[in-house]
Amino acid sequence: MAYAYLFKYIIIGDTGVGKSCLLLQFTDKRFQPVHDLTIGVEFGARMITIDGKQIKLQIWDTAGQEAFRSITRSYYRGAAGALLVYDITRRETFNHLTTWLEDARQHSNSNMVIMLIGNKSDLESRREVKKEEGEAFAREHGLVFMETSAKTAANVEEAFINTAKEIYEKIQEGVFDINNEANGIKIGPQHSTAGGAKAGGAGAGGAAGGGCC
Amino acid sequence: MFRSRSWFGGGWGRPKNPHSLERLKYLHNILCKNTTVSESNRGILVESLRCIAEILIWGDQNDSSVFDFFLEKNMLSYFLRIMRQKCGGSSYVCVQLLQTLNILFENIRNETSLYYLLSNNHVNSIIVHKFDVSDEEVMAYYISFLKTLSLKLNNHTIHFFYNEHTKDFPLYTEAIKFFNHPESMVRIAVRTLTLNVYRVQDASMLRFIRDRTAAPYFSNLVWFIGKHILELDACVRNDADHQSQQKLDDLVAEHLDHLHYINDILCLNIPDLNDVLTEHLLHKLLIPLYIYSLTSGSIKRPTSSPYNRDHIQSIEVITRNLEAILSGRSSDTPPRLKYPIQKMESEDDLKPSVSCVVSLFLLSQVFLIITHGPIVHALAWIIIQSDISIFDEGAMNILETYVSTAKSNVKLEFAKPQLSLEKALECSTCHDRDYTTPEYSGAKAFGYDTDHSSCDLDPELVSNSLPSTSHISETSSIAHDSTEDLVTQVQSIKSPVKENMPDSPLPDSGIDSTSSKTMSDLNNITDEEKQQLLVSLTNTEKSLTLENIIDKERRDIDNKPFLKTILDSLDCNEDDYKALFALCLLYALINNKGVSSELLDTLLKSELDDSEKVTKESRDENVGQEHQTKPKDHFNALLVAKLMAIAHLSCKPASKVRLVTCEITARLLKIAMEGSSGVPSARHLSAADNLRARAASLARNFYKCDDIFLDMFEDEYCEMCKRPLNVEWLCMDAAILLPPTKTPMSGIAFEKRLPSGEMERARRAIRTFFLIRELYLKLSGKQETQLPLANHAPFVQVGKTLDLNDSDLISCDITQKDGTWQHRFLAVDNIQIILVEPDKQKLGWGVAKLVGSLQDLEITGDKEDPRCLHLTIHKPRVGSTGVSPRTVLLRAKFKFDDHIRSMAAKQRLTKGRTKARQKKMQQIGRLLEVSGISAPAVAPRHRPLFARPSLSTVRRHSGIDGDETDRRIRRPSGHVLKDGVIVYRERTTMSRDSSVSRGSSGKVSREGSQEEIPLEDIRRNSSHPATPSTSRQQSTPSTSQLPKVSRTPSEETSFISGESRPKRKGIIETI
Ligand SMILES: Nc1nc2c(ncn2[C@@H]2O[C@H](COP(=O)(O)OP(=O)(O)O)[C@@H](O)[C@H]2O)c(=O)[nH]1
Ligand SMILES: [Mg+2]
Repeated sequence: MAYAYLFKYIIIGDTGVGKSCLLLQFTDKRFQPVHDLTIGVEFGARMITIDGKQIKLQIWDTAGQEAFRSITRSYYRGAAGALLVYDITRRETFNHLTTWLEDARQHSNSNMVIMLIGNKSDLESRREVKKEEGEAFAREHGLVFMETSAKTAANVEEAFINTAKEIYEKIQEGVFDINNEANGIKIGPQHSTAGGAKAGGAGAGGAAGGGCC
Repeated sequence: MFRSRSWFGGGWGRPKNPHSLERLKYLHNILCKNTTVSESNRGILVESLRCIAEILIWGDQNDSSVFDFFLEKNMLSYFLRIMRQKCGGSSYVCVQLLQTLNILFENIRNETSLYYLLSNNHVNSIIVHKFDVSDEEVMAYYISFLKTLSLKLNNHTIHFFYNEHTKDFPLYTEAIKFFNHPESMVRIAVRTLTLNVYRVQDASMLRFIRDRTAAPYFSNLVWFIGKHILELDACVRNDADHQSQQKLDDLVAEHLDHLHYINDILCLNIPDLNDVLTEHLLHKLLIPLYIYSLTSGSIKRPTSSPYNRDHIQSIEVITRNLEAILSGRSSDTPPRLKYPIQKMESEDDLKPSVSCVVSLFLLSQVFLIITHGPIVHALAWIIIQSDISIFDEGAMNILETYVSTAKSNVKLEFAKPQLSLEKALECSTCHDRDYTTPEYSGAKAFGYDTDHSSCDLDPELVSNSLPSTSHISETSSIAHDSTEDLVTQVQSIKSPVKENMPDSPLPDSGIDSTSSKTMSDLNNITDEEKQQLLVSLTNTEKSLTLENIIDKERRDIDNKPFLKTILDSLDCNEDDYKALFALCLLYALINNKGVSSELLDTLLKSELDDSEKVTKESRDENVGQEHQTKPKDHFNALLVAKLMAIAHLSCKPASKVRLVTCEITARLLKIAMEGSSGVPSARHLSAADNLRARAASLARNFYKCDDIFLDMFEDEYCEMCKRPLNVEWLCMDAAILLPPTKTPMSGIAFEKRLPSGEMERARRAIRTFFLIRELYLKLSGKQETQLPLANHAPFVQVGKTLDLNDSDLISCDITQKDGTWQHRFLAVDNIQIILVEPDKQKLGWGVAKLVGSLQDLEITGDKEDPRCLHLTIHKPRVGSTGVSPRTVLLRAKFKFDDHIRSMAAKQRLTKGRTKARQKKMQQIGRLLEVSGISAPAVAPRHRPLFARPSLSTVRRHSGIDGDETDRRIRRPSGHVLKDGVIVYRERTTMSRDSSVSRGSSGKVSREGSQEEIPLEDIRRNSSHPATPSTSRQQSTPSTSQLPKVSRTPSEETSFISGESRPKRKGIIETI
């Protein structure tokens, strides 16, 4: 199925906060908590619908590349949205947010939408960071905030979709230069005049695109 | 291998559990039954694949028999089979397969499980499988798969991917084919993968990388960087109107990405790899394109240069090779993929040079990012040392000269190829790659010629490329003549530069000018006149050693084409467009750790130091003009003169020098003046002082006793402290690549453009003054003691209990916009407005609830209710780093008991505000040497230096920054309370507070004496107008000297007046 827009996201935060799990939880809901097994992945794509428009989200995890400066800086630049994740059961992951944010702000394009995520909300008993603290941080830095659980899937959809909504609004407002793919936004084939690639099959879970043989 | 994870239910044996060996067997059965993919079974296959991944991960953590089964049944081969089916290869199934593999490899924690998965060559077969990479989704999952695998690489797993015997490393060779993919995320994944591969540090694998892939990969990389900057250059050239700034931003960021990537590779410190990369970078990019472009505008290269041709040929060859690589896949790639490459072929792009501005900018980035010694040192050497002969000899010779001349340990491997490299090349040319394993049969057709199409010169391609070479020759044959011209010019030049730069002799003549002419005479003439005067002054003293040195350096520099370009670019008479980049480059070069200090001596070592000893010799030498054979030239004096010229220009009212240029100039001046000895000479110091006086005079033009000037002054200081220049960040900003603009509507930061309008001109003047003053203080090793502007007393801490007996207090009700209501007492002193609440324990005492600065207070009356005032109270602007930005503390309506009290409050506040501001204006006046705002008339003996017109103090350092001894004797006053509204309970604590709050204002030195002084004394003394010596330097001129402050008693409330005024009123109110 063709999309109207493609948004590229990155997902950042300390190791172990649950980035890979969030990503898989969102892109492939099949990995349900019933199985008591959390599985992660570092790339995923999924189609969502906003305002009646098909929007494809591509989420790229930066994990494992922190050692290389060249990699992190280019990641930031190519994204329209970023999920900045911390673990509510580990305060240090919250304390590191400032550094992450500075990095993001320095390297990303100024329109990038950043969503702050306090993950592992299912572990209420081990909570070290109050929800209010996350809210305050988000308010102070102009981010959208949400607590999620990749395990119970609580708020995971919302986190990704709300970010997309905000990007979409910015597009409507004309803030994003959508013709510049470096912004992490791509217009789907139906919009483009110069005939981009056929979108091929839809993302996981979608119906297969024709193109057989 | 049973292990239980803490959050697992441990129910691996539950019969209904989908996580079980039984379930896997069942899924295996499904795969067996559906060997052929069709529309009908696609769904069930995808479903099974997901489940398999899940079970395997579960098995990895709980039950080893799962993996045994998986391996035994060779289940990965099913994956392959599905993939290879035409129909099964539809993206839907492929994507799911790839994602299943991603999940598998990412989530497996057990080394053994991982080995199982990798143990037969299936994974390599999947890697080389011909996916439909034109489908962006497949491409994304495929490259993520490769990247995920690369994250699993270590000294053990590397052998599953790299086959030492067949010299085969599909993971790497497949991935690098996409290094220039149009999708940025794909390119990033490729870079990540390569870095992950290199850092494994497996000797055999690295040898393979170096021998078989490094040359083609790096040459392609380098070629595309080159193409890229040609595009950037075109963008700059065609966009004088700031139209495509977004595109320029991307191109600049992209170039930075490349440099960071290269730096990341170099930082892995793999010697073999670094040598190849260094060679490619220097030979194919940095020297031919970046460095040669420096002179492309002025000096043309002769045709005969063999280097040029080589360069063009190799670029041709590289292009073709690259095409070959990509065309390997071209049959099934849509034209979209090839598009950027074709576009690159346009003739215009082939011109191998960029504008001087762009090359200065790019070289700055190189020196800011890359620290690898062999690269930066070679580059620095070429820029600084190479002489005019390079245009005949070619770059190869430059490097040879460099290697033999430079006293460094830099080993340039390309000069003498290692034996192993030769061997390897031999090997790679005769060795036909043979993929005998069945899995590779399918792969052979498309990609593996990559390695053959390495960039080793192919004679056929070289001859094919001749047309474009001749095109180049044509243009450069014209250039040849001009080179000759240049040589004759060089000989005939007799410092004509001087006429073009009226400013340049000035900076170094500080001593003479001031000694021979009183500066007060110069006070009323224009800058231009002054300059002429000074020039004429110096001209009479032609015999000065310094002059000779500069002259000599000017002649010598003509022999150094690159350095000359850079230094010539520093001319800001027209504008500072080019100069900014030259400054950035100099700054980056000097501060790069990879560049040796001996080399930098050329720029930093003052020849005056030597010549002072051998003055005679050097004079003789100058007469004979035989300096050209001198082995070591120095250009410190010339550099300083050029920098001074910029600094002087920026002190002119209609200057074309942007603040950012001024700031970086100041930084470089400090470095250049301190030189290699680290100490500036007396001559430099006086020149800097002279400069400071000019900057003060510039700012003085805007000195007005209005509200805006003071606010602006403090704001600018705050802004400057908050955001000191970061050259690396500056060079990330593409906006500076476009010609300097004035308009703020360009979105360009104030520092990076010219001022627009009177306000901005004032801001620029103030900021210039700060920058130059800072330079002067730093050079002379003095502490800043006057900035930020000090307050006469410390601000009271909120929450402090204050003795308010005998203070004027006005009771009021405060209502905020949101309806919040409070009752407070209003107290005012010289600098602050304090809202207090009575202390419940102690009668007559109160707790400070809010402390605001009087200076920034906004007061308006109420139209309806005469009992009310509207106040906006700002936070005191004393922060840990000097001045902090203006922040509103409270905006509210103050209601007093009656209109008399309201009026009294208004009067008191307005007066206090005015006086606080006047005090500060006086400080500024003193800083800027405004005539009239000098020392207090009553105590001229204390401050004799300020009694004279401003310029007369230029030469007297002590006059500007206070005489040390004088200051020590003077009793400091933490408190200049005009009528002592507040008495502090804890004296010592208070003193400490005060020193903390002004920690950065450089007054810490006086802290000790401060603590010994009883506060009551100060209070009593300071309230007496006739004893200004008790107050701090900044507050010395008491109100009596300020013409604006009316001392008419009738206008004053008890607050302003001295001790003699009755004070009981306040206390009555408190009680
Ligand atoms: N309880 C709980 N655990 C989680 C959650 N998300 C992730 N985890 C666990 O946290 C660990 C790290 O998760 P991972 O996604 O690999 O973190 P990453 O390093 O940020 O990618 C894993 O053991 C997950 O099982 C969650 O929402 N709740
Ligand atoms: Mg992860």
